[in-house]
Amino acid sequence: MFKLLRLPLAAGVLAAAALFATTSRAADKVIKVGVLHSLSGTMAISETSLRDVLLFAFDQINAQGGVMGYKIEPVIVDGASNWPLFAEKAKQLLEQDKVAVVFGCWTSVSRKSVLPVFEKDDGMLFYPVQYEGEELSKNIFYTAEAVNQQAIPAVDYLLQQGKKKFYLVGTDYVYPQTTNLILFKYLQTKGVPVENIGGGLSRDAAGKVISAGKYTPFGWTDYQQIVADIKQFAASGDACVINTINGDSNVPFFKEIVAAGLSPSDCPVVSFSLAEDELRSMPTKDLVGELGCWTYFQSLPTPENKAFLSAWKSWLKTENYAGVVKQKRAVDSPMVLSYDGVYLWKAAVEKAGTFDVDKVRSVLESGEISFNGPGGKITMQPNHHATKNVYIGETRANGQFKILKTFDQVKGEPFLLKHLDEELAQK
Amino acid sequence: MKSCLSLVLVLLTTAVALPRTGAAPAAPDDRSVRQELVQAMLARGAARQQLLAELGESGSRTARDALTAWTREEVYLYTPPGASPVPITLEDQQDADGKSRAFRIDTGAPLHDASGRVLKFTSDDLPSVDVDMRLRSTIQQALDMLSLTDPDPEARKSAIIKLGNSGKLQYVPILEHRLAKEPVGSVRKSIREAVALLRLNSADPKEQIAGCDELGRLESIGARDNLHRLLERANVAPSVRASAKRALHAIDGHVAVVDFFGTLFRGVSLGSILLVVALGLAITFGLMGVINMAHGEMIAVGAYTCYVVQNLFGTGFGFAITLPFSFGGHPISFGLHLPGLNATGWLYQSYFIFALPLSFVSAALVGAALERCVIRFLYRRPLESLLATWGVSLVLQQVFRMVFGANNVQVNSPGWLLGHFTINDVLLGYNRVFVIVFAVAIVIGTSLLLTKTPLGLLIRAVMQNRGMAACMGVRTERVNLLTFAFGSGLAGLAGAFLSQIGNVGPSLGQNYIVDSFMVVVVGGVGSIVGTVWSALGMGTADQILQQVLGSPVMGKIIVLTAVILFLQWKPSGLFATRTRNLD
Repeated sequence: MFKLLRLPLAAGVLAAAALFATTSRAADKVIKVGVLHSLSGTMAISETSLRDVLLFAFDQINAQGGVMGYKIEPVIVDGASNWPLFAEKAKQLLEQDKVAVVFGCWTSVSRKSVLPVFEKDDGMLFYPVQYEGEELSKNIFYTAEAVNQQAIPAVDYLLQQGKKKFYLVGTDYVYPQTTNLILFKYLQTKGVPVENIGGGLSRDAAGKVISAGKYTPFGWTDYQQIVADIKQFAASGDACVINTINGDSNVPFFKEIVAAGLSPSDCPVVSFSLAEDELRSMPTKDLVGELGCWTYFQSLPTPENKAFLSAWKSWLKTENYAGVVKQKRAVDSPMVLSYDGVYLWKAAVEKAGTFDVDKVRSVLESGEISFNGPGGKITMQPNHHATKNVYIGETRANGQFKILKTFDQVKGEPFLLKHLDEELAQK
Repeated sequence: MKSCLSLVLVLLTTAVALPRTGAAPAAPDDRSVRQELVQAMLARGAARQQLLAELGESGSRTARDALTAWTREEVYLYTPPGASPVPITLEDQQDADGKSRAFRIDTGAPLHDASGRVLKFTSDDLPSVDVDMRLRSTIQQALDMLSLTDPDPEARKSAIIKLGNSGKLQYVPILEHRLAKEPVGSVRKSIREAVALLRLNSADPKEQIAGCDELGRLESIGARDNLHRLLERANVAPSVRASAKRALHAIDGHVAVVDFFGTLFRGVSLGSILLVVALGLAITFGLMGVINMAHGEMIAVGAYTCYVVQNLFGTGFGFAITLPFSFGGHPISFGLHLPGLNATGWLYQSYFIFALPLSFVSAALVGAALERCVIRFLYRRPLESLLATWGVSLVLQQVFRMVFGANNVQVNSPGWLLGHFTINDVLLGYNRVFVIVFAVAIVIGTSLLLTKTPLGLLIRAVMQNRGMAACMGVRTERVNLLTFAFGSGLAGLAGAFLSQIGNVGPSLGQNYIVDSFMVVVVGGVGSIVGTVWSALGMGTADQILQQVLGSPVMGKIIVLTAVILFLQWKPSGLFATRTRNLD
């Protein structure tokens, strides 16, 4: 008897709940958006900043009426610096929560891990952190710096400054390896002889160069030998160092550089993994005068950036999300590119008039969606990468950058190795 | 004694006098330089050329900065009402409106208006002093000359190297002219090098040969590229080719010697770091037999002490913690704020001197607490002590995270630990020399304490046979406590030093715990001498392999494999302690 009753009762409750849910949705008009970053584990230090700036962007948009009248409701999941977990969480966001778009990932390996999930479920991911290129998925939009928006402008700048010898040093994983291989080829197309590219080469059995530069594992602390090598390399003058060392290994590296008397005026070091957020926990005195290259610096004097920074600061004062650190915050390029991504998506949705992934994608691919962000105008290109300004800056003692040069509106290009190989073959 | 004292006095006075004598000859009258600068900026044609040439001879930093700003169009003209224009530069620092203070070139003082108010401008407000291609190259010549007379020998050297690599023979007379006046030996060597490098570009084979021979004699490492390039050139006389090869041979020989001694030095310095890190463990694990997994955190305590002391000398130190649970509805939070001394200059630089003993004391106190609360119950149970201390290490790491944050903290090295000196091109960093001296000092101190003091006698007695020592009336509990605190204090000292060469963060200790155990085990548990030899041996082997193989990781792998094989062959390490214990 009870059993018979139970079923319709349960169905009734469910129906009522569903009705309630739909009515409440109709009242608020909410659109779910995924945030997929590591909030614990080794990457949490960097990635929580991106979560924070995304929440800021959502609050800012919601305060102005949301996207097409829909309030953004973030679904925040923790990738926990665990790459297979990233894929599971992506699946949860797309299949369970049915989010319209996901903003997330920092390391290339986490992106590679979620990529098949996004392709299978036809989701949309905005990826904000400088990366090595050689990838293009129809489901990912890369607001990130491609190699030709960071490493190559930096090398162009150094060549302009009359540098003739380039020493490559980095942490041993995909981003430094690929970037340095691209630079090795790029420098040759610019007429820099192979013997002027330091750090060593390794070749495969056929004699083709497969890796250029000197590599150390994550967390390496002993840079004596490498810096002594750099010192000899730089003895003939006009040398510089291209540094793709990641994380806190930079501290012993720069301490050794300073101890060896390699001053920025003689042998500057340009670093691609050190932005304002990282400089907060580094002895910046050892880095004064060394170079950085990003598509945004906190010290940019534009009105857009000033407005962004003051809004960010007042948001930090008033927000009450759990786990957002309020003191001593810095803003850097990955954060701003995350922020830009949200606004690019919003512009595309509004133009498409729908949240449908296919339609939003084709609008984004039109190459007409742009946003005047804190770092300048950013436009999504048909190849899923962005056109934006690139800045060269010099580190100051306060952990900020003094901007030395601006490259206006550089187009992001993911596939450089092939082009460079062709160019070298022609020579 | 008296002679000793006077020697110290002499050393002190030379230390004080050196910078002065270094700067004295090149310090010109700043006022007249500034006047000349203004005249040059406002003049035209030949007068301007003349003034720039004079400025080039002045050796003044002021002139250099102003001329550099001029070439970058960063010198502006401000025309006060009813007066002639004043050249100014703008400060880097900008206020909220993007304006910055202006400084007069003629006085170096901030620019005021008639009523004494400080004037501020943006770079768009004012016209800049004109500069064109021709003038730029004239100014550049003046700057080249200026850099040769810079008060800082290192700056002179790098300017000279630049001129040497420029390939422009017109610099030869300028450099030779400067050679006669140059007071510093190493700079004189750079000048000779630069002249020889320039001579390689001469069309006259005799000049080229003279250049090659000179470079060979000077054993100039920086000249290798140029000599190789000379050899690659098509139209080089055979005699020049031969002498270039001779020079290269001589330089390569020199590089081999430099590499050998450099690697040896780096090996000893890495060995010293291993030694400093492992010495505390050699006491707590080696002598006392406690498998102390929290040894790494004792190192971190020392490093964080260094950070706190640095902040106390600076702007102060504070933290606030809110515990993640509440008590009766009230969140539990506590904090601490210590005001800083706001010290600057040499007083701030000396913070490290105070940090060293304090890091010993703080780590020793933590060690003593650890011994009282945990370890004293576990002396006969090594496995449990391993687990318990590991737990303690996790707790301590979390405490560091709560107090200091999960990010690394900034510890700036004092000025006197930065920099280096070279002996015959072998680079000796001050921080590396310091760690070697430091390691020698604490090893001697430790061995004196163990062998020459009553406490040392008690320690050795207790460690050899706890029961027997207790029977003889030794208060073993107290000796255990003191020994453990001493070992922990040594780890704290290591931490203070590590803060000068690497990161300070919650996981600092984890990076060194494996190395520490390895050094102690290879050296032979219980033997301080063994620890010394194994640390130095492992450090040197690591650096030599890195140098030979050219790959940092391969060197480490080979060292680790060698350690495993060695322990198969001699399980009790280099210096086995013979005991009558059965265990």
